[in-house]
Amino acid sequence: MGLKANDGKILIVDDSEMNRAILSEMIGDKYNFIEAENGAEAVAILQHRNAEISLVLLDIVMPVMNGYDVLEIMHSRRWIDDIPVIMISEESTPSNIERAYDMGAMDFIARPFDKSVVLRRVVNTFMIYEKQKKLTELAVSQIYEKERNSNLMINILSHIVEFRNGESGLHVLHVQNLTEILLKTLVKTTDKYKLSPSEIAMISHASALHDIGKITIPDEILNKPGRLTDEEFAVMKTHSMAGADMLAQLTFFADEPLLKTAYEICRWHHERFDGRGYPDGISGDDIPISAQIVALADVYDALTSDRVYKKAFSHETAIGMIREGKCGSFNPLLLECLSAAADRIRDIANSTAQYKLHDCIDDISGEVFSRTELTSAKRTFDLLSYEKTVNKFFMNLSKEFLFEYTITPSVLVLTPAGARILGTEQIIVNPFTDDSPLHPIFCEEIHRRVSEKARNSSPENPEFEFECDTFIGGQPRHIKLICSSTWIIDEPPVYTGVIGKMTFDNKQTTGKE
Amino acid sequence: MNLIECYNALGGNYEDVLRRLTSERLVKKFAVRFLDDKSYELLETSLRENNIDEAFRAAHTIKGVCANLGFDKLLHSSSDMTEALREGNIDMANELFQTVTEDYLLTINSIRALDD
Repeated sequence: MGLKANDGKILIVDDSEMNRAILSEMIGDKYNFIEAENGAEAVAILQHRNAEISLVLLDIVMPVMNGYDVLEIMHSRRWIDDIPVIMISEESTPSNIERAYDMGAMDFIARPFDKSVVLRRVVNTFMIYEKQKKLTELAVSQIYEKERNSNLMINILSHIVEFRNGESGLHVLHVQNLTEILLKTLVKTTDKYKLSPSEIAMISHASALHDIGKITIPDEILNKPGRLTDEEFAVMKTHSMAGADMLAQLTFFADEPLLKTAYEICRWHHERFDGRGYPDGISGDDIPISAQIVALADVYDALTSDRVYKKAFSHETAIGMIREGKCGSFNPLLLECLSAAADRIRDIANSTAQYKLHDCIDDISGEVFSRTELTSAKRTFDLLSYEKTVNKFFMNLSKEFLFEYTITPSVLVLTPAGARILGTEQIIVNPFTDDSPLHPIFCEEIHRRVSEKARNSSPENPEFEFECDTFIGGQPRHIKLICSSTWIIDEPPVYTGVIGKMTFDNKQTTGKE
Repeated sequence: MNLIECYNALGGNYEDVLRRLTSERLVKKFAVRFLDDKSYELLETSLRENNIDEAFRAAHTIKGVCANLGFDKLLHSSSDMTEALREGNIDMANELFQTVTEDYLLTINSIRALDD
């Protein structure tokens, strides 16, 4: 058995110092340890040093917050997905063990501790977890690679068609993105069309092929600067069926969902909801939803882009024209989606040449992530830990009194300057309880006002500020607070805490700063 | 006295603790650290203040530490007391506290008598 030192730290949570010492001694100095003497401390550490911790050894019976409550929080925040937990306790009746396993614990160590058992379980858990992490990374990178390549191929192919058309290839990317946005909005609006996230991704992919039939249209018609004659237009109209025919001849792949979807889109993306489109003149939901959506995306992008024969219309004008039925006839549900997603759609229209293929690929890969629920994947994790590092660095560097408060767990984090002014630790668990070092002078007044203002703010208008007189370190001080409430964007949004900056009236400042 | 004599005096199971901790050095190290453990004091204060929850946790901690260190005699009395407190039986807990105190004193006195 390979006994390898690990970069990650083991968080030992036990109210008895002796038990913590015995455990760390048993596991040995190949590992690093962080200790917590109750559940609340453990949650605070998990909240602020999450990326450092690879394993939690968790006692059950503890003051302030017990082990089950810690598991509950780790579960609700999905920390348990990334950090394995081994329960330690003599409360090893079957129901207790069952309960801990149900709540996501990986293993159970009963007292009295046996060095070889403790060590073996810790090492095994580490190894299983590491192996799982490696496999996840492998799977994610392969899916990513595969998605990237297939999307690249589709884009190259459609670009060839556009290239002949004298266009930049942006049209294909725009249609692809518009299709995706409209589809996502559609599934939120109605469950009429049963579309899974993977079908949404597939339709968006396939949308890139909507105009491949144009490869059969002669140059002089395709690139004619003026208006097409009726005969020329009749030729132009053959492109949808021509594209579908080309795909239909790929009999070898006939059963591929991507091919079937691309066929629908090619053939019917010029049909109209009222039945007056081409080539088949079908109407309503006889037109597959994929083709209906691509048709709308195609029209919107054509309106908002420059063409040899016209200038680009603004986003507002384009939406207006489509809604008034000046540019075809669409499913009313889709028109609703177009309005609902108007802001996001405008962003895409405005992004023009800046929009990179990479973004598009990243989007799709992001889809894959959520679709397969590989939430612990390394990329997401790295981003998060990068963010944390940056935040921690700037907090520590700042000479200002900055703070970050989260409601659950109730933890206040201060910059070193802030901690110095209040004469407290930088991380304070349960800062607004009676025995808190901040109580009663600082917290009562400020907490009341901050909570009140924060709850009255909203995700759209999170910022607020106010001034008041208070006592800090026994001295009367006039303070000014600039704050921003933090939210989890959900339906409805959930208020999670406050970040902010406190400044003092110079005259009354007695601190070193 | 030496470590084996100490364990005999305090009614402990030396063989078992040696097997679990794997070295005499570790057994001795942690046995001596038991002198610094404040759980007994916490148990006493909590009982006096009628704080049953805190008393339960303190007794529970003593029980856990004793299990780990193989202090069987104190393990048994603190274990009985933990159960009494779990059920909220204060009278029985107070009665059992006499035994816990005797066993606790026996344990720490034996450890203090250890050779350096």
